[in-house]
Amino acid sequence: MIDSSLDNFNTEPMEKPASPARQTWKMFSSNQSAVAGLILLAIVLIFSLVGPLVYQVAPTEMVWMPLTPPLESEYLLGTDYLGRDILAGLINGGRITIAIGASAALLTIVIGVTIGALAGYYGGWVDNLLMRVTEFFQVLPNLLLAMVVVMLFSATLTNIAIAIGIVSWTSTARLTRAEFLRLRSMDYVRAERSIGAKNRRIIWAVILPNAAPPLIVSAALSIGTAILFEAGLAFLGLSDPNNMSWGRMIGDNRPYILDSWWGVTFPGIAIFLTVLAISLVGDGLNDALNPKLRKR
Amino acid sequence: MQAPLLSVRDLEVSFQIGGSDVPVVRDLSFDVEHGETLGIVGESGCGKSMTALAIMGLVPNPPGRISKGSILLEGIDITTASEKDLQALRGNDMSMVFQEPMTSLNPVFTVGEQIAETARAHFGLSRAEARNKAIEILRLVGIPSPEKRVDDYPHQLSGGMRQRVMIAISLVCEPKLLIADEPTTALDVTVQAQIFDLFRELQEKTKTAIILITHDIGVVAEMADRVMVMYAGRNIEKGPAIDFIRAPQHPYTRGLISCIPTLQADPPDEPDALFEIPGVVPSAVELAKPGCAFAPRCPNVIDRCKVEFPPSTQIENNRSVSCWLAQEETV
Amino acid sequence: MVKSLSKRIGNAVILLLAVLVLNFTLIHIAPGDPVEVLAGEMGGATPELLAELRADFGLDQPFHVQLFTYLGNVLQGNLGYSFYYDKPVTELIFDRIGATLLLVITALLFALFVGTALGIASAQKRNSLLSNVVTLLSLAGFSAPVFWIGIMLILLLSVALPIFPIAGMATADEPEGNFAYILDVVWHLVLPALTLASIYLAFYSRLSRASMLEVLESDYIRTARAKGLSRFLVVYKHALRNAVLPVVTFAGLQFAQVISGAVLVETVFAWPGLGTLAFESILRRDSPTLLGILFFSAVLVLVVNIVVDIAYRIIDPRISAK
Repeated sequence: MIDSSLDNFNTEPMEKPASPARQTWKMFSSNQSAVAGLILLAIVLIFSLVGPLVYQVAPTEMVWMPLTPPLESEYLLGTDYLGRDILAGLINGGRITIAIGASAALLTIVIGVTIGALAGYYGGWVDNLLMRVTEFFQVLPNLLLAMVVVMLFSATLTNIAIAIGIVSWTSTARLTRAEFLRLRSMDYVRAERSIGAKNRRIIWAVILPNAAPPLIVSAALSIGTAILFEAGLAFLGLSDPNNMSWGRMIGDNRPYILDSWWGVTFPGIAIFLTVLAISLVGDGLNDALNPKLRKR
Repeated sequence: MQAPLLSVRDLEVSFQIGGSDVPVVRDLSFDVEHGETLGIVGESGCGKSMTALAIMGLVPNPPGRISKGSILLEGIDITTASEKDLQALRGNDMSMVFQEPMTSLNPVFTVGEQIAETARAHFGLSRAEARNKAIEILRLVGIPSPEKRVDDYPHQLSGGMRQRVMIAISLVCEPKLLIADEPTTALDVTVQAQIFDLFRELQEKTKTAIILITHDIGVVAEMADRVMVMYAGRNIEKGPAIDFIRAPQHPYTRGLISCIPTLQADPPDEPDALFEIPGVVPSAVELAKPGCAFAPRCPNVIDRCKVEFPPSTQIENNRSVSCWLAQEETV
Repeated sequence: MVKSLSKRIGNAVILLLAVLVLNFTLIHIAPGDPVEVLAGEMGGATPELLAELRADFGLDQPFHVQLFTYLGNVLQGNLGYSFYYDKPVTELIFDRIGATLLLVITALLFALFVGTALGIASAQKRNSLLSNVVTLLSLAGFSAPVFWIGIMLILLLSVALPIFPIAGMATADEPEGNFAYILDVVWHLVLPALTLASIYLAFYSRLSRASMLEVLESDYIRTARAKGLSRFLVVYKHALRNAVLPVVTFAGLQFAQVISGAVLVETVFAWPGLGTLAFESILRRDSPTLLGILFFSAVLVLVVNIVVDIAYRIIDPRISAK
């Protein structure tokens, strides 16, 4: 609608181009909500990684009168129905929650990128087959499938992370496939092929780096999704009995909400703030890495 | 003499870009008489489409707005009219055919509905009456078996057919002014000729005035009574179409005319290379600079061109041109 | 239309068979011998009795024979037997599926209509208060665990301000009359449906807002305005129908996730549907029931996908032409 000459319009004088990482950081750091998310994320990480060294109360042991409200004892956030310290649970549960979230997200990305890359690059029957598999996983409610897997193979930290990984990769696979479909006919890919590069090299060393920006964003956001997922499983009773996690705290304390609002409220806030921080950072990365896709 | 149908005076359209107001159309004044065809010529980005949208009261706002001047359609000023008054005018007294027939029709409604709703909105017709009207107008624009086509969706029609539908929409209320913005640019050459034949035929029947926006000199020569040439948001030459083709005055216009390859009965053994105007269309930054925007590309440039924009100079036969050279000749 | 529909149904049948194969394989490779578990519940058994039980259940047969026996059983409507409830799994599921459908459909329709309305309203006034609230809500809806939102709503609207019931689907001492009963169920439905809708409400409002903003800049909207149509017709006739297309697509794609959400929400509110059944079957380690629920959810998802597909074809004429 605007005359095309305006497209060339640039109010800023030309600067010498900065490195891509620097440019991304410049865009990212000028985004207030992204920076807020990053700070929040740093606080959460310090809280749950450094916290256990500073605040040495066992999260799974009875330390005080059960159901003590916040600020009424030395255990600032109160105790739960077994007299366990809520603050200790938050600090130690955070480590577990984040560890499971991060490793499940890693698995999600590895499976999703591999399947999407192969489908998008080779096309034809490979694509057909892999997209059928993807469709299959999309038809199954992912939480139910993860519940089945964890129940049948017992609730250890590893099994939980694996279960989350194998039920969550479909959207990453679709995204990767779309990027590969778009990029595989680009001139530089054709050039590589014409000089005889192997498919393996073209997929992982040529196309993947160019498809990276949206995948990085997707990886960041999938950590948040995995944390929510872990919390959901733990809430349903599928958590490692030897480790405290935020979701498990909510699940354990839910029957006692009439007696203690604090038992469920604080872990929920912890999950909320962590996932919020991750999504703010993810959105910020999205804007910084894909400037063309920025919201108007 | 009758008052002109459309009278544009000192029009300026600006866009908010990067915090500053950039004019994309400036100091534009022209008239359109009842029943005549005015050709507006210029390269892409010269402001001709924005001029059309300004007349329709459709300048995208934000970021654009009409920052100066007036547009009178039969005495009603478009620039100050309320949205409600504009709605009553659009599609009824003035209508517009856009460049892209593939995307200008709504994909989820039948073409019949898209024509009929215009008739319902302005004439208060019933559904059945409006449908009959749609069939009638589809026949008028040359669509075969309109009784069937009326229930087709846009994706079932070819580009040329879709543009005929667009023309049908714009003509259904028999407007006094029809603006056609590059109506054939997206179409095949053979279809182009059919569409222009259609315009001429319809104009004879309805006495509608047409503003034909194009970058194609050939089209102007064939269709227009009068021509206005725009460059970088300004009118630089205006006059009857015949004079414009035979004796262009502005160096830019002369360049445009020389760009047309000619068929010669007895071609020379070594044909001349096609002429082209050196340089590129100026960007919006350059528009803000003083002086004539064409100066960097002009073969006859003088010092004065770079500091001051030449005023419009009246020369014989209702012609005017904005160029210091013309100014000097007449003084 | 009929052709593509039958193709979709064929596709769905293949996917369901795959779900059954997956179910069976998972049980087969999972550690733990179901016969020993059963024997344990009966209070121990001799090796001879164990072998006899294995033969009874066909567990001594090779994998593919067992698989075909299982598939044959499912085709006859036999999804296995729940020892805990002492009932066939199919019967258990049919007892509970109505409650789940009521919850899921209410929540989804609420999220769709209110979300789209919010998104479209905020698209018309960018940077307005409403627009910012929608953006904020969608961030919150994405970041908070849905079961926690449910618990917070209970604490607020059932405990602190006792407006809605804490749990269940109907009051224990059933009110007299059909109308009173319906009202009672609706009253119990409000909080669970609102909780489940909260995730998707935010998502749909954001999606429809983005979609509406894009559609409003398209050429055919300019055409509609150039025709002199009123603002109302331009937005609610020409733009809306195009803008809801991605929303409809996502509603279909996400239905499986809505069921996942329903498992959590039902558990929070003790809503007597498939979700609480799944939760209980985890507590009882009742794998036939849990696997039956997984299979049935896949059936539901596929049915909904076909319905959405038909809806999409009705809204967008371009699809059915292909």
